[in-house]
Amino acid sequence: MQDIIEQLEARRERARLGGGKQRIERQHEKGKLTARERVEALLDEGSFEEYDMFVEHQCADFGMQEQKIPGDGVITGQGTINGRLVYVFSKDFTVFGGSLSKAHAAKIVKVQQMAVRNGAPVIGIFDAGGARIQEGVDSLAGYADIFMENVLSSGVIPQISVIMGPCAGGDVYSPAMTDFIFMVKDTSYMYVTGPDVVKTVTNEDVSHESLGGASVHAKKSGVVDGAFENDIEALVQMRRIFDFLPLSNKERPPERPTFDLPDREEPSLDSLIPANPNSPYDMKELIEKVADEGDFFEISPDFGANIIVGFGRLEGSTVGFVANQPMTLAGVLDIDASRKAARFVRFCDCFNIPIVTFVDVPGFMPGTKQEYGGLIKHGAKLLFAYAEATVPKVTVITRKAYGGAYDVMSSKHLRGDVNYAWPTAEIAVMGAKGAVEIIFRKDLGDPEKIAEHTKMYEDNFANPYVAARKGYIDDVIRPHSTRKRVIKALRSLRNKDVKNPPKKHDNIPL
Amino acid sequence: MFEKILIANRGEIAVRVIKTCRRLGVKTVVVYSDADAGSMAVEMADETVHIGPSAASESYLVMDKIVDAVKKTGAEAVHPGFGFLSENSEFAKRLETEGITFIGPNPYAIEAMGDKISSKKLAAEAGVSTVPGHMGLIKDTKEAVKISREIGYPVMIKASAGGGGKGIRVAANDKEVEEGYPAVKAEATNAFGDDRIFIEKFILNPRHVEIQVMGDKHGNAVYLFERECSIQRRNQKVLEEAPSPLLDEATRKKMGEQAVALAKAVNYDSAGTVEFVASGVDKSFYFLEMNTRLQVEHPVTEMITGVDLVEQMLRVAAGEKLALKQKDLKINGWAIESRVYAEDPYRNFLPSIGRLKRFHPTPEGPLGKGTVRVDSGVREGDEISMFYDPMIAKLVTHAATRDEALDTQAAALDRFHIEGIRDNISFCAAVMDEKRFRSGDITTAYIKDEFPDGFHGTPATDFQRTALICTAAFLHGVFTERASMISGRLTAPTPPRQDWVVILGDEYHPIHLEQGLGEATITINGGSKHMLVSDWMPGAHLVEGALDGEPLAVKVADRTEGYELSHRGVRVRALVCTPTMAKFHERLPEKEKPDMSKLIISPMPGLVVSVDVTPGQDVKEGEAVCVVEAMKMQNIIRAEADGTVKAVNVGAGDSVAADEIMIEFA
Repeated sequence: MQDIIEQLEARRERARLGGGKQRIERQHEKGKLTARERVEALLDEGSFEEYDMFVEHQCADFGMQEQKIPGDGVITGQGTINGRLVYVFSKDFTVFGGSLSKAHAAKIVKVQQMAVRNGAPVIGIFDAGGARIQEGVDSLAGYADIFMENVLSSGVIPQISVIMGPCAGGDVYSPAMTDFIFMVKDTSYMYVTGPDVVKTVTNEDVSHESLGGASVHAKKSGVVDGAFENDIEALVQMRRIFDFLPLSNKERPPERPTFDLPDREEPSLDSLIPANPNSPYDMKELIEKVADEGDFFEISPDFGANIIVGFGRLEGSTVGFVANQPMTLAGVLDIDASRKAARFVRFCDCFNIPIVTFVDVPGFMPGTKQEYGGLIKHGAKLLFAYAEATVPKVTVITRKAYGGAYDVMSSKHLRGDVNYAWPTAEIAVMGAKGAVEIIFRKDLGDPEKIAEHTKMYEDNFANPYVAARKGYIDDVIRPHSTRKRVIKALRSLRNKDVKNPPKKHDNIPL
Repeated sequence: MFEKILIANRGEIAVRVIKTCRRLGVKTVVVYSDADAGSMAVEMADETVHIGPSAASESYLVMDKIVDAVKKTGAEAVHPGFGFLSENSEFAKRLETEGITFIGPNPYAIEAMGDKISSKKLAAEAGVSTVPGHMGLIKDTKEAVKISREIGYPVMIKASAGGGGKGIRVAANDKEVEEGYPAVKAEATNAFGDDRIFIEKFILNPRHVEIQVMGDKHGNAVYLFERECSIQRRNQKVLEEAPSPLLDEATRKKMGEQAVALAKAVNYDSAGTVEFVASGVDKSFYFLEMNTRLQVEHPVTEMITGVDLVEQMLRVAAGEKLALKQKDLKINGWAIESRVYAEDPYRNFLPSIGRLKRFHPTPEGPLGKGTVRVDSGVREGDEISMFYDPMIAKLVTHAATRDEALDTQAAALDRFHIEGIRDNISFCAAVMDEKRFRSGDITTAYIKDEFPDGFHGTPATDFQRTALICTAAFLHGVFTERASMISGRLTAPTPPRQDWVVILGDEYHPIHLEQGLGEATITINGGSKHMLVSDWMPGAHLVEGALDGEPLAVKVADRTEGYELSHRGVRVRALVCTPTMAKFHERLPEKEKPDMSKLIISPMPGLVVSVDVTPGQDVKEGEAVCVVEAMKMQNIIRAEADGTVKAVNVGAGDSVAADEIMIEFA
């Protein structure tokens, strides 16, 4: 009996070694942790329960029957982050380069299905060379099985992908369908086709980094939601974001005690809006001064920076912040900003996270580049997302809310629950100059009259009171009391119950 | 006494004057430019008058606008503060003709002291010690030796047109004059085409010591002892103290009496300062100049004498007789002031502008064995603009002895928190801890001597290392415990882990942590055991408490991973992790820093004044490549190595952000 039990330990030991000491060393030399170390770093100490440790591939072609390593290139299981359940899979580059076999895919699908059944998020860690070519079409089938689970879980449980090495070809589409993707700078890259194929097809010379490095996806393509310096930082931050997320769509956002007072006033917010209406200011300061303890987890900080999205807490409970950023492109809505914010709003709506929106938007970005790029449909995504969202929606207009962009940014007209404005708000169809040039076209040749009209327009229309008189704004509030007022509003919305008409699903302008 | 006065200034000095006026029941009028429309001074004043655009040349410096404001508001007198029009005799005269009282000295005194040469002559006539020297033409080497002997060694042989270290020699004896004089003469001829040479006394270990004087319109004058302002950078004072660690009673009396003699010689009838250069070797001192205004550093004098200098200025301006008698004036304890500047000490003290996102000055009142006073004219949310002086506050501490005053200052600096702009607080705090400064053996070259390559933070002492490890552990203990209280757990929170590794910079320190409520016991490396008590809560930027019973204040900034901790001049990143994670950290190789030598990046936000290179141009190390202006200061950006310009990304007139890539090299 004793030796049989000891045999189990020996088998485990062999499985834990993955691709062997040499390959593990090579992984470390590259500045990467191993698949197993990553899981350890991500989860509460000692909480990891591994499944399918002894799974091996079934391929008998190309001499593969001689090469079998228990686990088959991916580590799967469950554990906890600060005591809350999470399912994980972590690709093991030291075993067949982490390539995907049928057995490997089945392991991932197993935890995906368990996660949905048990209502807990999935975090996938990617570091792999793509399909197991020797397995041919079985490998493709395996990918599709994973994709299918990604799609069915979408909106049911949060899914997060962390790219910590190569991720190419079929491997990219599973992360692409998850809620958030994060990358590690310099050691990871992500693309559909690699530099060699690119060279053959388009004759472009491009490196792994400049084709699909973190700098590309976090800044240019917007594919990833954040980039970190190294594996450890990335995993520590995954623990941080996890604490903001509900476990599934059946749950409320998590709560934890806070030391921050709900009625904390911030007198300096009374001077946040500069005297000159065209001067920028940092909207992040408002978010940080409203959120509990100034703690804000920003999503996609370097992409579409004219809008800020991310998670914070109010009274210890998660809220999603969406805010125009006057520091970048005057906070205008363009294709990138609309896409980024729309996806975030929809995530919050899926998972019962209230949305707090701070508005300072001069309108949509004009120009051929935007129109050719389909701004109409991309802008519509944000409008659609806000309109369909049934979670609590609290809006504060700090300065400009012009034209259609006013409507889009969680306005009363799109079922905004509580809509506030600062006294500095200008809620109007457009800025004074533009409006006067249209309304008083006949006076265009007379600069004196135009100046007079402009002053009149500014005095009478560039303020929050026109909208407030019509009930489009529930109250005009002092900037320093923003935290207090937003918290009060959210308290009143705790049992909000709004349902959209029954349908198979909507048809958002993708 | 006046019923209403106008303050022709801004910022902290305007606030400072208002405070005294309020106490005396004098109403105040503050003038303000566009940039200062919502300032603290404007908020505190009884009346305000807008006087134009932000540039001082179009507002605070325009006499007509000030005079108009006085007339409009019916103020009887004008306090000029310092800077701007404070030492402008034309302004004082103009007010006189308009029948408005100038709260400052009479125009004659301003004029007489305003000119360097005439003031020196006047000082010499009044019996004030001036730097011995020979201004006339020198025939030959023989005469140079004779003159040098008369002056007394060491002497400085200086080309009239010299500067920047060229054309200057110091000679300690006849022989060195014999060698040095012809050398300087030749250098002067070659370099400047002007072979005029003068010789003057070379002051060894020069220190900046100044005497505060106060006079009235009735011929009375007293001195309120000295201030030492030797800690300067680029001729800008950073730290000032009173009294001076250099002076003894006899020297103090002699210096004070000479200053009073000079004041009386020019009928000085307000607050003024007579500046001396004093030798750290023999306490000999020589007149430099007289400042005919209130000085920035006046609070240290107020702290040790108990006299409100602004009040005195108001009283004598109103014609009152000076109530202060020399024999009643006594030095009580020691005071020191740090000028808190909006500048980045880690980046060669470049100016930093922006909004004060957080501004929590140290609370005024008792701290440790001393007291704290803060003179500031800004509040959280105010903008530090490029239009005016980058000084944002003066932190003054007072205690019975110099050591205690310095201790209190250091503790106060540790509690002064600013975000949104860079500040020099860590630098000032580093100086407080520095041995030579502590000993009082300082000179005007102190910063250059002790920080020759600029400021890069100071290494942690053993005490600081312990304090920072304990602080990091404490913070982590609080965070970990709180994180474990999240809703939705599978099990009740397990007892908190006790074994951790604190990674401080690149040092690994295993610790044992017992976290309690508002306190923690930390054992470092299985050895020393410490108790940290603090009511710190997440979100606060200052960990204030006691370590093993001794008061401790550490600033904490959140970073993506870990905490950035600052104490005195030390700034370090601290990570707290499990032993397993610590092993992982050790495994990850340090990433190579990107090669910045091929890039010229903007060191601060500002305006590009000029770009001096074009693509393809070869540039030598140290060559100027462009000029960026911020806060009235033109900063010449130089190439750090030889190279060829590949791309120029900015042009004259462009605004640049900090760290923006301006020029790239091939």
